[in-house]
Amino acid sequence: MHELSLVQGIVDAVQETAREKKGKVTSFKIEVGELSQFDIRLIRQLLADITKGTPLEGAKVIVQREKCRVRCLGCGNRWGFEQLTGTLSEKNKEMVHFLPELISSCSKCPSCSKSYFEIEAGRSVRVAEVTLDA
Amino acid sequence: MPEVDWDFRQGMIRKRLSRTRHVLLVLSGKGGVGKSVVSATLSALLAGSGLRVGLLDADIYGPSSALLFGADTLPEEGKGGLTPPTRRGVKIMSVDLFASGRPLPLTGYGAGQVLTELLALTDWGKLDCLIADMPPATGDIMQILTSLGNEKTSGLVVSMPDRLSTAVAHRVLELLRTGRVPTIGVLENMRKVEPRRGGGVRGPAKLAKEFRVPFLGALPLDPGVTEAVEKADVGALLETEFAEALGKATLPYRRTLRTD
Repeated sequence: MHELSLVQGIVDAVQETAREKKGKVTSFKIEVGELSQFDIRLIRQLLADITKGTPLEGAKVIVQREKCRVRCLGCGNRWGFEQLTGTLSEKNKEMVHFLPELISSCSKCPSCSKSYFEIEAGRSVRVAEVTLDA
Repeated sequence: MPEVDWDFRQGMIRKRLSRTRHVLLVLSGKGGVGKSVVSATLSALLAGSGLRVGLLDADIYGPSSALLFGADTLPEEGKGGLTPPTRRGVKIMSVDLFASGRPLPLTGYGAGQVLTELLALTDWGKLDCLIADMPPATGDIMQILTSLGNEKTSGLVVSMPDRLSTAVAHRVLELLRTGRVPTIGVLENMRKVEPRRGGGVRGPAKLAKEFRVPFLGALPLDPGVTEAVEKADVGALLETEFAEALGKATLPYRRTLRTD
C-alpha cells in the first residue's frame, strides 16, 4: 500500500505548485507507468479520498496508464511491457512494483540478451500536467 | 495543459528528512576501504547509546548493509510508505532487501532513480541520525545525496593509509568542499603499523590537514572484524578493537548528536 504515500506526495506537490504560483488548480493529469503495475482504479480512488476537503477538490483529474518502453543501450532495440515482464516470477514482479529500475536485474534485451537498458517511459506514477487559473 | 518539469518525489524526500536531525554521508571515493563496516558499526554504536538511527545503503550497485546486519526481509508496506526492518536498534534500508542478491546492472541514471525512490518511500519516522553508506566513485549517487539542500548533511571521509586511497579521498574532499558539504573529519581505516616517529604527517592525516578538517584517528586492521562480518554478527563487531577505536574517533560527533 505504498501507493497511498505516493499519491499523498503527488497531492502535496500539486498543492505546493498552486501556492507558489498563487493560482487555483483547475485540472491535473497523472500518468501511471505500466512497469509499476499499480492498479489505476486504486490510484483514482486514493486521489479522490485525499483531495476531499482540500483546495484540489473539484479540480478535473485525469489518470491514465502510461505505456512502458525501454531501450537497449547496447543495440538500440526498443520493447515494451509484455516482453519485459511476461516471464517474470511473482517475486520479481513484486520487486519491480516497488523499484521499477530493478527490471534490469531480472530481464534482458530480446535482441542482444544484454541487461543494459534504460526505461524511456512508463516506469511509475508521475504528475504529467497541471493547469492553474492564475 | 502545461507539462510539469518537476518530480513530486523531491517534496516527499524533503518532508521525510525534515524529521531527521542529521544526515551523515560515509564516503571514500574508492571501494574496499571499509565504508560499509564503518557505517554499520557507527550506526550500531549510536543506536546503542539510545539515539534513533537509520542506515541507508546508498551503494546501489554493491549493497552490503543489509547483509552486515543479517536483514533479509522485504520492508513492510504501511500508510506512511515502506517501514525498514530494524536490527540492533538500527533501521536499515537497502536495495538488496528487494533484489535479494540479484546483480544490479543499472545505468547511473537508473541507480539515481532507485535511490530517489528509496528516499521518497522510506518511512524512517523521527531520526537523530541517518547514516548513508556511500558507493565508491563520485557519480549520480553522491551528487543526489549532496544536493538534497539539507543543511543538516555532513560527510565523513574514510581512507586507508596508502597513496591510492588518499589520492581518491582527496577528490571526494574537493567535491565536498565545492558542494559546501561540511566534513566532520577524515578517518584512517585498516592501519597495519604505527607510523614511525618523526616521519611527519602522512596519508589521511595529511589529507585532513590540507583540507583543514579534523583527523579523527586511525582504526586498526582487526581480524575480529572479518569474523564478525562473516557471521553477520553486529554484536561481535561491537566487541572488536576496531569498534572501540571507532567509538573514540567519533566521540565528538556523537556528543554533537546528543546536544544538538
